[in-house]
Parts: sequence; C-alpha cells; structure tokens
Amino acid sequence: MKNFKSLTIMLVIVLMASATGFSQAKITVKGSDTMVILAQRWAELYMKSNSQVTIQVTGGGSGVGITALINGTTDICNASRPMKQTEIEKLKGRYNTLGVEIPCAKDGVTIFLNDANKVNELTLKQISDIYTGKIKNWKELGGNDAEIRLYGRENSSGTYTYLHDEVVKDDYASTVQSLPGTAAVVNAVKKDVNGIGYGGAAYAVGVKYAKVKKDANATGYVPSAETIGKGQYPITRYLYMYLRNRPTGETKKYVDWILSPAGQAVVTEVGYFPYK
Amino acid sequence: MTLALYGYSQKQVVDSLKEVLENHQGKLNSLDERVLVNEADLGKLNKIKVSGYVQAQWESYGADLEKSNGYSNTYYIRRARVKFTYEAADGVKFVLQPDLSTGNLALKDAYAVVNLPKLKNLTLWAGQMNRPDYEVEYSSSSREVLERSRVVRAIYPGEREVGVKLEYIGVKIPIKFQLMAMNGNFTGTQQKDVDSRKDLMARLVYSIKLPAAGIGIDLGPNVYYGGNLSKTNKYFKNSNGTLDSLKSAWTYLDKNWIGAEAQIYADVLGGLAIKGEYMAGVNSTPSSVAASATRAQMIASPSLYNNFSGYYVYFVKNIGPKNQFVAKYDYYDPNTKLSGDAAGGSLYYKTWTLAWQYYLNDNIRITLNYEMPKNETNASNPTDKKDNTLGVRIQAKF
Repeated sequence: MKNFKSLTIMLVIVLMASATGFSQAKITVKGSDTMVILAQRWAELYMKSNSQVTIQVTGGGSGVGITALINGTTDICNASRPMKQTEIEKLKGRYNTLGVEIPCAKDGVTIFLNDANKVNELTLKQISDIYTGKIKNWKELGGNDAEIRLYGRENSSGTYTYLHDEVVKDDYASTVQSLPGTAAVVNAVKKDVNGIGYGGAAYAVGVKYAKVKKDANATGYVPSAETIGKGQYPITRYLYMYLRNRPTGETKKYVDWILSPAGQAVVTEVGYFPYK
Repeated sequence: MTLALYGYSQKQVVDSLKEVLENHQGKLNSLDERVLVNEADLGKLNKIKVSGYVQAQWESYGADLEKSNGYSNTYYIRRARVKFTYEAADGVKFVLQPDLSTGNLALKDAYAVVNLPKLKNLTLWAGQMNRPDYEVEYSSSSREVLERSRVVRAIYPGEREVGVKLEYIGVKIPIKFQLMAMNGNFTGTQQKDVDSRKDLMARLVYSIKLPAAGIGIDLGPNVYYGGNLSKTNKYFKNSNGTLDSLKSAWTYLDKNWIGAEAQIYADVLGGLAIKGEYMAGVNSTPSSVAASATRAQMIASPSLYNNFSGYYVYFVKNIGPKNQFVAKYDYYDPNTKLSGDAAGGSLYYKTWTLAWQYYLNDNIRITLNYEMPKNETNASNPTDKKDNTLGVRIQAKF
C-alpha cells in the first residue's frame, strides 16, 4: 500500500509538471458572428507585430463557439451573450473549471430598417410584438400598409439568444427567416422595403437604425459611443471572450493586448464600443 | 418601312425578354416558397435532439468476486443509452431515455419539463427522472469513475424515481433549489407506488464564484423525508440488532436522512476539483413475509430499520486538455450502531478508486479504473474480501 501511495504521488507530480509545458504559438478563436470582423481585425493587427503567433478566427455563432470551447476545439470563444449556467456546468464536468469570462467590447443590438421605411422609432414592447408575430403590419406602427417581413439569426447565435432573453421574452414567430450572419440580415433588409432585422452595430451599412425606446414615453436612441457609454441605448450588451482556464503564454499576451488601448482602438474602428 | 420593321422586331425582343423574366421571377417565387416550407420543416426537426452514449467495458475481478461470479474477467456493455429531447415550445421540453444494453432494455428517463408562466426560473418536472442529488444527477457519461459511491447506490437504487419536481435556478442570487415529491419505492420496474405515502426530497445549492482566484464553490444541504410501509409484519429489527415490534402491521417505517455537499473547482495549472457529499439518517427495508405467515416466520423475517452514514470525496485533476487523473474515497456503513461481530453482515466499506481518463476526441473517452474496497472484519468476515476490480471502459458519445 505504501508503494502504491508513493507511486500515485509521483505520478501526479510528474503530470502536473508536464502540464505547464504546453506551448500556444497557434491560437484558435471561434464563436460569435457579431464579433467575427472585430476578432479578424484584432488577429491581423496582432500577427503583424507578433509574427511568432498564428491566430485562426472563425465564426459560426456564440453557441457554436461555446460548444467548441467545451469540446476543446478552440482556445478562445467569442460570445455576444453571457454563458448559460448549463454551459458552465458542462465546462465544470469536462475541465473542472468555471471558465474565464473576459468582457472585451460593448455593442448595441441594432434594429435594422430599410431606408425607405417610414417607421423610425420602436419601443422594446413593439420590437417584442413584431418578433413574436403579434404586430404583423407596418400600418400598426405608423408605416405603410404592408406586411412586416422578419429577418433574424439562427438559434446558435448569441444575438438571437440575447434579443430573445432581454427583449422578445417569448417564442420568435415562425415567419422569422433565419439567416447565417448579421451581414446576411443587413443585406436582406437592404433589399426589402418591408423588412426588419437585428444584429451588431458594426454591420449596419446601407440600412437605417431604428431609434429604440424603453417605453412609449421615453426618448428613442440609436446605438452610438455616447448613448451606449451613458447607458441610454436600451439594448446594450457586453461582448465576451471565454477561455477554459486563465490564459498563459501567448494567449495571455494576446488577451492583454486586446484589453489594452491599442486593442480597444480596434473596437472603435470596427464600429463597436470600448468595454470600459 | 425598315425602321418600322426594326421597331416591331425590337418590341418583340423586349416582349420576349419580359416573358422570360416573368417566367424566371415566377420560378424564383416558387423556389422562395419551397425554401420557406423547407425552413419551417427543418425548424420542427431542430426541436428534436438525439444524443446518447455506449460504454463498452472490460473488468477483471479479485479472487472472492471471481468465486461469486464464476469468472475472473468479462467484456460487457455497461450502458447503451439514447436520449430524445423534444423542445415543443419555449420552456416546454419532453425527454425520453431508454437504456438498450444487453439484456437490460429499460426506460431510464421519461419526463416533461415546463417553465412556469411568469416565473422564468422555476420549472416543473413530471415523470420518471433522477432524484435531486449531486452524484445521482451527474451523468454516467461524465462521471470520472466507473461507478457511483456505495452509499448513493444503497439509498438511491437505480437513481430514478417517479414523481414531480420543482426546480428554481436563481439569476441574481446564485442558488439552485429542488423539491421533489415521489413514490419513494421505485427500483426501475414497478409502474405504480406500493404504498400511499409520498416521499419528499429537497436540495439547496449555493454557488460562490471567485473569478480573480479562478475558484468556484458549490455547496448546500439536502434532506430526504419518507417511509416504507410494513404491510404484513409488525416485527422489525432495529439499529441495535434487537427485535422490536410496531403496534400493528400496516405501519410506516421511517426513511429519513440529511446530507450536505460541496464541490470546489480551482484553476490550478488546468482544472482541479474536490467534490464531496455526506449523508446520514435512518433507512428501512420492509419485510416481504406473507400476511398469512406464522408469528415465528414473521420474527424470522422482520423488517429492517438501520441508522446509516456515508460519504464520498473525489479529487480530479485535468492534465492538459485530454487527460484527467482521479482519486476517490468513499465510505458507507449500513448500520452505524453496530460494529465488529455484532454487525453481522452489515459491514462498513471504505473504498479507494483510482482512475485515469483519456479523451481521444470530442466523442471518445477511455477510462482505466481500479477500485479497492476494504470491508469491516468480524467473526463472519475475518479478512478483507478480495474484491478489487480493474476496469477499462471505452465510451462513445454522440
């Protein structure tokens, strides 16, 4: 028994020591489509001045990124929503950690309307009623007598989940056309005068932002550095990076750079807002 | 004339092009409609999730187990589960999970989960499901050793029960509260309860997060309150091993215990967890003697009423992303009031288990597991039984 105990202790020491030797010259980043352009820009700039590091960025949605983090197929997961308790439980079960949550930018979930749409302002309740199918015609909102066409994201999207949990708070209408990425949503609304979509602020090119109001008596705001900074825009959220363990080596250097003024300047350049 | 003919010809070309365009527009509209129909159908399919796992295993047994089993080692399928989850609507879920392992076709889970309206974090569960206990609820596909602790297997046989459960998961306050009312006697086969009294079980877990230190702690108490109906026999053997009697048969024997659990997760050169639970109380086993039995027969087969206690502690260390080392110690004494020769067959067990997990990929896990139970010795069992078990399991999960 004594020998057995000694053997066990030695085995644990050797393995713990070996765990410190993992190198991370290649960093994989996966997840939020909202954050893809931001993550790609970060990676491009960082690799320019750190040629020893390769950073591979892919999208797929926050849910896909979190699954990849749990499955061990990505080093960093980008997510436009916080991790759910069930996801943290899976991380605990597999890696015995809670994961590391790093807020790295802010975003206003933007409601996209076609430029020709007469409607300019929506309350949170109206957005909910539109996406649950209770409001079906633009006429009910002071617009043209035309059916509202709904564009949205797939359920693996963090923005889909965030809007559902914070604004819609009920089942999305079955008429919502799910599109693979915010760029596709913007494109659909750009071509459809009666369309409405949602997504990250950085993608709104060729469509207009709806002003969003907390309720009918409140002032409407579009997402901007000022309205988000002051907490006025009602659908403001953090964008996150998640890791399984506290970062070390090259991953830590990369994360530190993202949170530095240089990394946060990229956030503004891309169209999002600094996390502080 | 030529100009007129040219103009006529141009008009024909334009008309023809218009016709082609309209034709294509029609086709596109029809494709659009088909895509929408397909999307709606796919949406329905998305509501069904199928997952599962197969555990193929080889085990080698110590000499005493070899004698009782008749073989020293065996290959077998420990579990072969398929889990169907149907999310009918937001907050409404149905789960069905059969076990299809060899000679063991059994329904493991069959329940519905409903989010109570306007109480977003409160869910109502109804059907056949796990009892609310940490090691019971921790899936066999994730568990770090091959089998659950001896005490958990003894007081929660088959893990499942039939009943209803309320579960609250706090958002602002990080708590989880579970309250379950159940038949209380389920062993995996009987369709209905065997007595009228319903057992109650409650569990509270409070989560503490210390992100700067990379530490998370879940801890809390649990309680079980129930009973077993002694239908035919008023005689029972109490914890002291002496014969006692109830006023009459058709009386409930207590089945009550309390417990406490804690799981500590720390990010120390990769993940590390220390997880444990302690439980103690009284458990009973009703006599199976016939109502027509003689007094002597009843006295010979009394119900059992024992004070028990047990606990387990896991130490789990992740070694890089693919390997995991596990050491576990568990203790179970089915009768805390008696020891030595007086304990007879109710021996306590102290069990060390060492295991190594290798995650080949997302779907495949290989486990090497060595279980070393050490039993209490007395006149009837003068030596520690040779019942160590070496196991190798390959688990495929999808």
